Amino acid sequence: MMDCGHYRRAMLAEPSNDDAELRRHLATCPECTRYAEQLRRFEGRLDRALRVEMNPPLLEHRVVTPLRAARPRGARPWDPPHRRWLAAAASVLLGTAIAVSLWLAAPGRSLAADVVQHMAEEPNAWARTEIPVPEPRLDQVLIDSHVRFRLSAGLVSYANSCLFRGHRVPHLVVQTDSGPVTVMVLTHEALRSAMRFNEQGYRGVIIPVRGHGSLAVLERGPDTDIKTVEAVAARVQSALDWTS
Amino acid sequence: MKDPVGGNQRRARFQSLCQSLRPDLLRFAFWLARDRALAEDVVQETMLRAWKAQDSLLDESAAKPWFLTIIRREYARSFERKRFVTVDVEELIAKEEPMLAAADDQELVELRAAMFKLPGEYREPLVMQVLMGLSTAEIAAELGLSNAAVLTRLFRARKQLRVMCGEDTSLDPEE
Repeated sequence: MMDCGHYRRAMLAEPSNDDAELRRHLATCPECTRYAEQLRRFEGRLDRALRVEMNPPLLEHRVVTPLRAARPRGARPWDPPHRRWLAAAASVLLGTAIAVSLWLAAPGRSLAADVVQHMAEEPNAWARTEIPVPEPRLDQVLIDSHVRFRLSAGLVSYANSCLFRGHRVPHLVVQTDSGPVTVMVLTHEALRSAMRFNEQGYRGVIIPVRGHGSLAVLERGPDTDIKTVEAVAARVQSALDWTS
Repeated sequence: MKDPVGGNQRRARFQSLCQSLRPDLLRFAFWLARDRALAEDVVQETMLRAWKAQDSLLDESAAKPWFLTIIRREYARSFERKRFVTVDVEELIAKEEPMLAAADDQELVELRAAMFKLPGEYREPLVMQVLMGLSTAEIAAELGLSNAAVLTRLFRARKQLRVMCGEDTSLDPEE
């Protein structure tokens, strides 16, 4: 039979440990339930603390640093000079090709482009899972936007309050039949009409929400059907209850 | 004969993989080095090396540990090149204050400063677990430790962090 010390040591080392024996102990121990709740809150803060804002370096930095690094640090004694020159030239070309392709692939600074850029910063959110975010956590993320999400509309597997264009906005991932769908509640971004976008492997829509800004809904992957995304967007929109 | 179309697709996929992982790799390097400029240099070098060695990544699902290995090697190389000797944590914190203070939540700022003070042997597996989502076995493989040793380090990491942050530790277990 597991004791409290064993349970707490295991959880402090690995809070996501879902071992059946640990769960059984938790179900019978109010003190450890309180401890698990303390740890859950701490873990949420730790996760947010580690996600420091790292703006991607400027294009020049992307180009110059790799090129410097790409130069051979010392000539190899068996390399004839023309081979070294070719190697350096190839490195320059490679570095430039990477930088230019990254630059060309970057969208303009439209709202859709910023949404897509934000997606690239949170790749872990896209996991296909059946583990829901605890309801209090979801409410906490949504509370500042004065909105609630009816859980009957789908399983929310990720909820985070993200810095986006100078505001904290709810970023949710809803699991659907066609895979995970990201929803961003953009109360500060008013829109006249809906817009579709297809950028960097993400396909989605941003729809205006009267009096509450807009809602970005997107899926990723080459097989994504925009009609499916729009249907999900409509379902999500109808599942939001605005409290102000 | 080589397949240029397949090669282009593969390169495009690899590029997309690099782009999607880069923000978290930068964060990982930042917590490893506790220096933003150094973290950026390390990740740039890592990307270039990864690009050249992309054929050795046989399974995309293993990309994260693969990149982490390169980052850790690059970080170690930066030590060899620059011959860092001593580290004053308070100086590091002061230098990176804009990064640490970026959050609008004082508790997060304190937690970030505490992370800076955490010894590397505890900080690194903790970042791998929490930020990068690695399993205990993956961390153990990366650090060349047993699973039990990794769990001990993770346990001590959180225990020390909680004390440094003034958390209620009355229910925390003894080692």
